[in-house]
Amino acid sequence: MSSHYEAPIRKPLILGDKSYHDISNDIARPVETPPDKDWWIAFSIAMAAFLWGLGCMAYTLGTGIGVWGLNKTVGWAWDITNFVWWVGIGHAGTLISAVLLLFRQKWRMGINRSAEAMTIFSVIQAGLFPIIHMGRPWLAYWMFPIPNQFGSLWVNFNSPLLWDVFAISTYLTVSLVFWWTGLLPDFAMIRDRAVDPFRKKIYSLISFGWSGRAKDWQRFEEVSLVLAGLATPLVLSVHTIVSFDFATSVIPGWHTTIFPPYFVAGAIFSGFAMVQTLLIIMRKVSRLESYITIQHIEMMNIVIMITGSIVGCAYITELFIAWYSGVEYEQYAFLNRATGPYWWAYFLMMSCNVVSPQIMWVKKIRTNIIWSFVISIVVNVGMWFERFVIIVTSLHRDYLPSSWTMFSPTFIDIGIFIGTIGFFFVLFLLYARSFPVVAQAEIKSILKSSGEKYKKIRDKK
Amino acid sequence: MEELNVLNVITRIMQNKKLYWKGIEQLDTDSTIVEGLENNEFVEKLPVNSDDEKNSSRRDFLKYVGFSSAAAAIVGCEGPVIKSVPYVVQPEQIIPGVANYYATTIADGNDFSSILVKTREGRPIKIESNKDASTFGDANARVHASVLSLYDSNRVQGPKISGEYTDWQTLINLVRVSLDNFSKDDKKVVLLTQTYPSPSSKEIISEFLDVYPNISHVTYDAISNSSTLDAFENIYGLRAMADYDFSRAENIISVDADFISDWQGGGYSSGYTKTRVPDKSKKKTMSYHIQFESNMTLTGSNADDRVPAKPSELKKIVARLYTKLTSNGEDKGSINPSIDRYVDSCIAKIMKSPKKSVVVSGIDDVDVQELILLINSYLKSEVIDINNPRLIKEGDNQKLNNFISDLESGNLSGVITSGVNPLYSLPNSDRLKESFKSLDFSLVFSEKEDETAKSAMYLAATNNYLESWGDYELKKGSFFLAQPTIRPLFDTIQFQDFLLKIMNSDLSFYDRIKSNWQNRILRGKTWGKSLQDGFYNDFSSLNLKAKKSRASISSLYEENSNDFSLVLYSKTGIGDGSQSSNPWLQEFPDPITRVTWDNYLTVSAVDAKKLSLNNYNVSNGALNGSYAIISTEESELKVPVLIQPGQAEGTVGLAYGYGKTEGMNDVMKVGVNAYSLYHNFSNTQSVKITKSEGDHEFACIQLHNTMMGRDEIIKETDIETYNSKEKSYWNPTVLVSKNHIETKVTSKEVNIWREFDRSTGHHFNLAIDLNACNGCGACVIACHAENNVPVVGKEEVRKSRDMHWLRIDRYFSSEDTFEGDVKAKDEASGYSEYRATQTKLEKAAANPKVVFQPVMCQHCNNAPCETVCPVAATSHGRQGQNQMAYNRCVGTRYCANNCPYKVRRFNWFSYAENDEFDYNLNNDLGRMVLNPDVNVRGRGVMEKCSLCIQMTQKTILDAKKDGRRVRDGEFQTACSNACSDGAIVFGDINDKESKISESNKNDRAYRLLESIGTKPNILYQVKIRNSKKV
Repeated sequence: MSSHYEAPIRKPLILGDKSYHDISNDIARPVETPPDKDWWIAFSIAMAAFLWGLGCMAYTLGTGIGVWGLNKTVGWAWDITNFVWWVGIGHAGTLISAVLLLFRQKWRMGINRSAEAMTIFSVIQAGLFPIIHMGRPWLAYWMFPIPNQFGSLWVNFNSPLLWDVFAISTYLTVSLVFWWTGLLPDFAMIRDRAVDPFRKKIYSLISFGWSGRAKDWQRFEEVSLVLAGLATPLVLSVHTIVSFDFATSVIPGWHTTIFPPYFVAGAIFSGFAMVQTLLIIMRKVSRLESYITIQHIEMMNIVIMITGSIVGCAYITELFIAWYSGVEYEQYAFLNRATGPYWWAYFLMMSCNVVSPQIMWVKKIRTNIIWSFVISIVVNVGMWFERFVIIVTSLHRDYLPSSWTMFSPTFIDIGIFIGTIGFFFVLFLLYARSFPVVAQAEIKSILKSSGEKYKKIRDKK
Repeated sequence: MEELNVLNVITRIMQNKKLYWKGIEQLDTDSTIVEGLENNEFVEKLPVNSDDEKNSSRRDFLKYVGFSSAAAAIVGCEGPVIKSVPYVVQPEQIIPGVANYYATTIADGNDFSSILVKTREGRPIKIESNKDASTFGDANARVHASVLSLYDSNRVQGPKISGEYTDWQTLINLVRVSLDNFSKDDKKVVLLTQTYPSPSSKEIISEFLDVYPNISHVTYDAISNSSTLDAFENIYGLRAMADYDFSRAENIISVDADFISDWQGGGYSSGYTKTRVPDKSKKKTMSYHIQFESNMTLTGSNADDRVPAKPSELKKIVARLYTKLTSNGEDKGSINPSIDRYVDSCIAKIMKSPKKSVVVSGIDDVDVQELILLINSYLKSEVIDINNPRLIKEGDNQKLNNFISDLESGNLSGVITSGVNPLYSLPNSDRLKESFKSLDFSLVFSEKEDETAKSAMYLAATNNYLESWGDYELKKGSFFLAQPTIRPLFDTIQFQDFLLKIMNSDLSFYDRIKSNWQNRILRGKTWGKSLQDGFYNDFSSLNLKAKKSRASISSLYEENSNDFSLVLYSKTGIGDGSQSSNPWLQEFPDPITRVTWDNYLTVSAVDAKKLSLNNYNVSNGALNGSYAIISTEESELKVPVLIQPGQAEGTVGLAYGYGKTEGMNDVMKVGVNAYSLYHNFSNTQSVKITKSEGDHEFACIQLHNTMMGRDEIIKETDIETYNSKEKSYWNPTVLVSKNHIETKVTSKEVNIWREFDRSTGHHFNLAIDLNACNGCGACVIACHAENNVPVVGKEEVRKSRDMHWLRIDRYFSSEDTFEGDVKAKDEASGYSEYRATQTKLEKAAANPKVVFQPVMCQHCNNAPCETVCPVAATSHGRQGQNQMAYNRCVGTRYCANNCPYKVRRFNWFSYAENDEFDYNLNNDLGRMVLNPDVNVRGRGVMEKCSLCIQMTQKTILDAKKDGRRVRDGEFQTACSNACSDGAIVFGDINDKESKISESNKNDRAYRLLESIGTKPNILYQVKIRNSKKV
């Protein structure tokens, strides 16, 4: 599948004089060596945050949604903000693995495994919120069209929330299958290297009996392509459907036809930023600089810059349409967004999402690791505020001024959010120590064309 | 031998006789052990039933063990205790599931109404107006809420002596002995009571005074009307108050008379409203109402013109009106020219139709009140009724002051009180408390252990009015009866019955009333019928002649000092404070300020700025306000400040009824006691205001006061435009753009919804007339009572989580008129101007126009909430209602977010049986008020107005049972039923003859936020003001 020639003007995707065995060693190292003190510190912090969040969720469940800061006018705030934020983050994985696979972008090989892991872990976080934000979460299964004995009760297929359920669950399923399929040869590699019988047992179980025969590889390739084809529309559909939660409503500031593309761009934007955040740390900690190179970082920065600009265009378009529509509620909603009591949130959103990625036009900055890291954090902060702005500033002042009020989070709101960040990192840190974090089988497929060692051999000929 | 035995065993096995191998001993047939074992499984006796050893066996043992452990287990778990006792003999009138209504009367000294009490299975659960009564037939919010006061867990459950429960016989004996001794020694005792406008009570009291001549009777109204009574007495020779029939008025000139609320006993709003709804098709116009006042009152906010003025100016206005109208006396005083202009225009209006004009005033000044009577008499006003005056208040400030000085100087040996709480409501109650405690004898008749009851020696627990008998003559010739609607919940006795017992009478109060009515009052009507009706009119009237007045006009022109004028007022929710431990009323938002759970000092924006007092919103939107100290010569009070648009400069307002400290739960002890400033029983006091430290946390349910120039919310016009122009001019159908073509929102083309045929069956609509609605809030409380709406408390209201299904939005205009707001918004061009205008529109004007808009679920035919619910918990009813299936709701709150009217209410917590919400739903007594037809919603579900589907279904079923069509007017909701002003009309629009169909076709009909296309089933009628365009 790979060509055996990489043009000299292209930067190599694998750095260093690597042999196939070196790659195996590099990728298996974090799995085969015991974690160091830093990992334990990070893990403890993440675990503590997770447990704290769990406590807050339990308190909510035991007492009622009233422990959050919501009120009669603002019925959603941090819950759905966090939900959309996490779903958005979950977008990069599939985009990288599926879309870039179809477009034969080989640079994805260094990052797709972790991007997909991040996707799955963040979709898990996202999935928590629609459940815990319910007044009666123990009845969450009523959201599924399950035949029941309540009479002829059926779900309401008109409701975007129901579409959400389908969209998110489909996305999670396809992403998981796709991810695991890619993992099979790599798990098999770890299995084959394992000395400890227990470890061998585990990895042989989760590698589903991968044997490395030509037939295996052929099926692997086919399934990857089919899944990529399936997953590609999902990249567009999931956040489109999430945006329908707002776009199909009647609330000024929500009722906007631009939302689907705007949300998808925003999702890719935030997803890439999160991949960036994670991989910049991981390449250092797991010594994967040879596989996750500055070039990868630059590529991702370009994606961030472009999607950031799309998002910026969407923001400006919204303002324009508010003026152009001549609808007074719409006009006021956007005036209030930008200059009302939550102006600071709007300002943060604008500066983080529209202004900050623009500095990526400068090559020096987009190839600078520190800058990339900082911007990636800034973008994720900005994207969180984008959702907060959309949800809270639209709701808190809608049609009837008599119902206008404000929203302020309680420590439970904050605790649950921190808890999901903790949960996410717990999963990711466990993943980093037990999964092959780079798709070594795929990397190996470009070693001959991209690896220095083989280029030298080729050049000698 | 051995072998034989083995053979033997084997043979037995072969013969299929059950035999199990147990041991080698078995082989020995002679073994005693084997034999013993064969006969008895246990070698040793079991240690059970030792005294009857023979019969106990293993099976017995197991039985005992089983039984005793089962018994222990059963005792261990508490079985479900169902506190319901079925009727052994079913009472004739009570059918489970069917409500009984009883007519009775409330006259607690502050509220006077003939009412119907709805009882279910013997429990009173709701109060309704007695619509048959020609006077006093309107129940206000407090009367509607009074049913909950019956179930107050703080009620005293029996007679007490020095705080210890006792029995009635002991108490009666002790009291009789004391009274006899005082009588013997001729020691002074005072009987201090509320006004009892009750013929039979008066008789009993006078008999009591005859028996004990040393006792003198003092009548005490917590909120005094003494000046009005004095004036009437001076002029007409009778201690009473004139009655008014505002429905005859064309011009209403009110100088600080809050007649829509509690002025002179209240109950005037329905008459007033009759003149306020114009109808072009019937050539009916509307009255003109001008209000001169200091505080922004409910009446002032409904006036066509409202002129804020200081109390000193108000007196001048009355004087000026008098001198100019009657051309009597010289008018030398000077008056603020901007106010004088209004006075002149009033005079011009009055002159056009003097008989249809009336001048009323609420100023606590005998001279003013005399002038008012003289003016109306001079005008020959048809509105004022002198010969059938109101008899509801008798309190005399002079007598009361004598009592107080007697009490303080120790001249009194004993005090008996009934229906009053002087140690709370007298201005110097702190000082009086000591004198009261040191009395030789004090007997307090009270429902609660309030401030006075707590300091008393003897506490006689009295009935709630819903447990009592009573008769009243509230107005000359208008008699009312009160009957118990439930047996006394506790060991309580009525005041009148107690007096009869003291006097050793064999008759009960009921016997007395009955004989009194049969012998003296009733003419041509039976006792039974009167009791059923609750009232009786004998159509008699007095023939009073006016005497000369000695009122001094020049004294009215006296300027007061530069101090602030404090104007004390009675709040719509709490009134005089007798029901301040009623959670419904505490959570009832004040119609004007929309603040719950508090009283506060209302200050004008200008004065607030001068004194650097401010109001601001914290991060969750909740309202905070500075504290101020009000100081008079006698006292000082720290109060929270609320900046009130429309408050006259130089004046401040404070409501009575708050700041109680006894006889209520701690969470209910809110506000400050304004009675401490009620010196000389005058509602106007000269005070100094200074800023104090700290901020007060308000629980205000409307944080934004203006309409932002949005013309789709409230539509209004003036009477001239209404009369002269077409509907399309002043109430145009909203246009929306379709393919850049302006299309009527009502046309089919712009509708993306699939309509279904609504022409069969019932289709409910509810119409709200913004001209008739004065914001009194009776509907809000009625809705609470009917629908088991929970009370959530101050903290939750502060978090904008009130649960009101029906709210009355109140908007202030930002410009001089609402029209001005719209104009300002429309005329702003360019971003910076737009932004500046919007910011300006957030602020209310100094003297704004006010509108009230009741908003409940709009029951949209194209409901945004219905489409978004993932589990279809809210869906459309066949009869037009948007329905809520609580059981199905999972609580995503999406519906509430998507509701443009924000009428949906979420159960953030479990509000019933939750100690965090210690209101009526948290005790068995308080839960007795629940309507069994409506469920109590659990935590995590959305709730909202159902258009009282339980009531409409009952109406349908009743008609079906009778085999007839439902008559117009039969369909009611709690709110439409509670509105005595006819502002809320409910019915079936498929009945083309119905009143609602008429409202629907009316030119004034419009729907809230029509441009969204939700097609609500609630409609509003354009508000029309009788004022000139500015």
